Amino acid sequence: MSNWEILWSSRDVFWQGFGNTVTIFVISAIAAFLLGSLLVFMMEGARPRLKKPLRIFIDGMRMLPFLILAYLFYYGLPSLEIRLSAWQAGVSALILYHGAYFAEILRGSRVTLSSGQEEAATALGFSRPSMFIRIILPQLVLRTRGVMGNQLIILLKDTAFLVIITVRELTAAANSLSSTYFIPMEAFIVVIGFYWAISLMLEQSIRLLGRLGEKRGFSNA
Amino acid sequence: MPEYSEVSINNLSKSFDGTEVLRDVSLDVSRGEVVSILGSSGSGKSTLLRCINWLEVPDRGEIRINGERIGVREDSSKPMTRRELAKVRTQLGMVFQGFNLWPHLSVLKNVTEALICVQGLKKEEARERGMEFLQKVGMAEKADTYPCTLSGGQKQRVAIARALAMQPKVMLFDEPTSALDPELVGEVLSVMRDLSQEGYTMIIVTHEMDFARNVSDQVVFLDKGIIIEKSAPDVFFNNPGSERVRRFLELDKAS
Amino acid sequence: MDSSAWGLLLQGAWTTAWISAVSIALGVVLGLIIALIRLARLPFIHQLLGTYISMARATPLVTLVLFIFLSGPTFGINLDRNVAAIMALTLNTTAFNAEIWRSAFNNFSNDQREAAMAVGMTPWTYFRRIMLPQTVITSLPNLVNEMSFLVKGSPAIAVIGIVDLTRVTNRISAVTYDPLPPILAAALLYMAIIGFLVWGQRIAERKANRLAM
Repeated sequence: MSNWEILWSSRDVFWQGFGNTVTIFVISAIAAFLLGSLLVFMMEGARPRLKKPLRIFIDGMRMLPFLILAYLFYYGLPSLEIRLSAWQAGVSALILYHGAYFAEILRGSRVTLSSGQEEAATALGFSRPSMFIRIILPQLVLRTRGVMGNQLIILLKDTAFLVIITVRELTAAANSLSSTYFIPMEAFIVVIGFYWAISLMLEQSIRLLGRLGEKRGFSNA
Repeated sequence: MPEYSEVSINNLSKSFDGTEVLRDVSLDVSRGEVVSILGSSGSGKSTLLRCINWLEVPDRGEIRINGERIGVREDSSKPMTRRELAKVRTQLGMVFQGFNLWPHLSVLKNVTEALICVQGLKKEEARERGMEFLQKVGMAEKADTYPCTLSGGQKQRVAIARALAMQPKVMLFDEPTSALDPELVGEVLSVMRDLSQEGYTMIIVTHEMDFARNVSDQVVFLDKGIIIEKSAPDVFFNNPGSERVRRFLELDKAS
Repeated sequence: MDSSAWGLLLQGAWTTAWISAVSIALGVVLGLIIALIRLARLPFIHQLLGTYISMARATPLVTLVLFIFLSGPTFGINLDRNVAAIMALTLNTTAFNAEIWRSAFNNFSNDQREAAMAVGMTPWTYFRRIMLPQTVITSLPNLVNEMSFLVKGSPAIAVIGIVDLTRVTNRISAVTYDPLPPILAAALLYMAIIGFLVWGQRIAERKANRLAM
């Protein structure tokens, strides 16, 4: 059997790994975005006492490798009697880590949003959460779509780190196949192809978002 | 038909960075009255207007809308919560110099957003009311376009519709035509004239003298934070009491 | 954590540091070379390099490290772990650097080139003495930013058994049965290294802004 035939016969291993990676990615991406938005909202200033700790948290995450956070959740938390499964630890770390990055990206755009729009909303009687969700956040997303897209690709790549804390995702599939059948090149080429394909799809989605933005006058980020 | 109510401003004072911008200002606006506030730059007229809906918080004095106090709780003299403020603000509509439309929403959505989120209208109801007021300002055709495609005058008319759709008791205009190219000023003033004839209570900060003369019931002149003159338009423009106003009118004629 | 644990930790930090440093140095230079080659727009090579850049930027470091290390034997080479790690990190960072250099070249105003031509400079002299020095300065903040990313991605090399600053915490906790302190200590050390790079980036930004006209 040629190497490629071996690969094809074990395609369900790939699909499992691929499915797991995509699941982890989608859940983490959505939750991280929500967390980032929440962090930006909390930094808005109704409670100034929150601003400093949130700043420290965000800056902290930006100065750490992702894997250390995953290690902290998987290997470190049991010392505090919190035992997470590898999958739970990995996804939690992704959400917390990238939530901070999303917050930083959104916040950067937030400070340059014209305050007149907020005044109009306030004058009309909008509550702060309502104003943030309906008026401010959509604009932040449209304005930062390029950088957000990059961050999503980084999130995707970070899912591969989880192989080190024993999560059975896509890279783990390639690893196990290559050690079982001694076909490292073929296994990894396929897997790299998968990552590339998902990246291209993400970039295309961002481009579509860009068209939505241009219709409304949000020029290219 | 909404009820047209009165605004009562008493002894308002406000300072910014140590400079007194408003000094013990008092003003009463009755139902259906159109009041124009004139003055040179830095006279405090915008600040005065923005205090009415508490976008600026005065240092001293009180403001009542239809008898109800805004900004400070009647019983405890503590500042109002944002929620309480929001409730009172629904009685006031504001139109800004910079229009302040929301670019990511269509023209119609700009008008209906507050109806849905603040007044809790159902989508269909909001749509109907939105179209009604867009029709009123002559922008119904552009309902599904985006603000970035509109001219300044068109944007301001949408902004007026947005404020009107909430059916406020008082309309506040903060230099509504100052940011517009001269050719576009007319379409906005025309809408405002129609509103005045329908009996809306309007307080307008403006530089448009002809408009103030023709449309107002009362003209107020503010200089360095104090009301120098408060009179009917024909008195104000033809025979003002104060020297300061005379000079102001002459300068305006010269330019 | 006692002194032997700290000793191990610092060894791990050193491993991370030197492998990162070598990869950074190679990556910056190779990125520049690739960007220059792409400027020339040679028909086949341009697309090939473009594909490489696109794929390398989309491939996770962990996957790349494993790929290179495990594929070695297929070509009859038994790669040293450290060499495989450096190769992977370099291939990755080179692609990002190539884009950074390209962006800097693109944003460089044509006016200066026209002035240089008018004065009679050859394209090579213009490039060497006018464009390149300024491009280096304007690229610096982004290049340093990419260096931070490399260090943040360096724990990927643990997957092929290199005892870097992250994996060393496993070693320590295998002995002490107390995983939390070494992980926290490693986190602090990473913050120090990356903090140093962030500080460098701020200085680079100041220099770059002074150049902006």
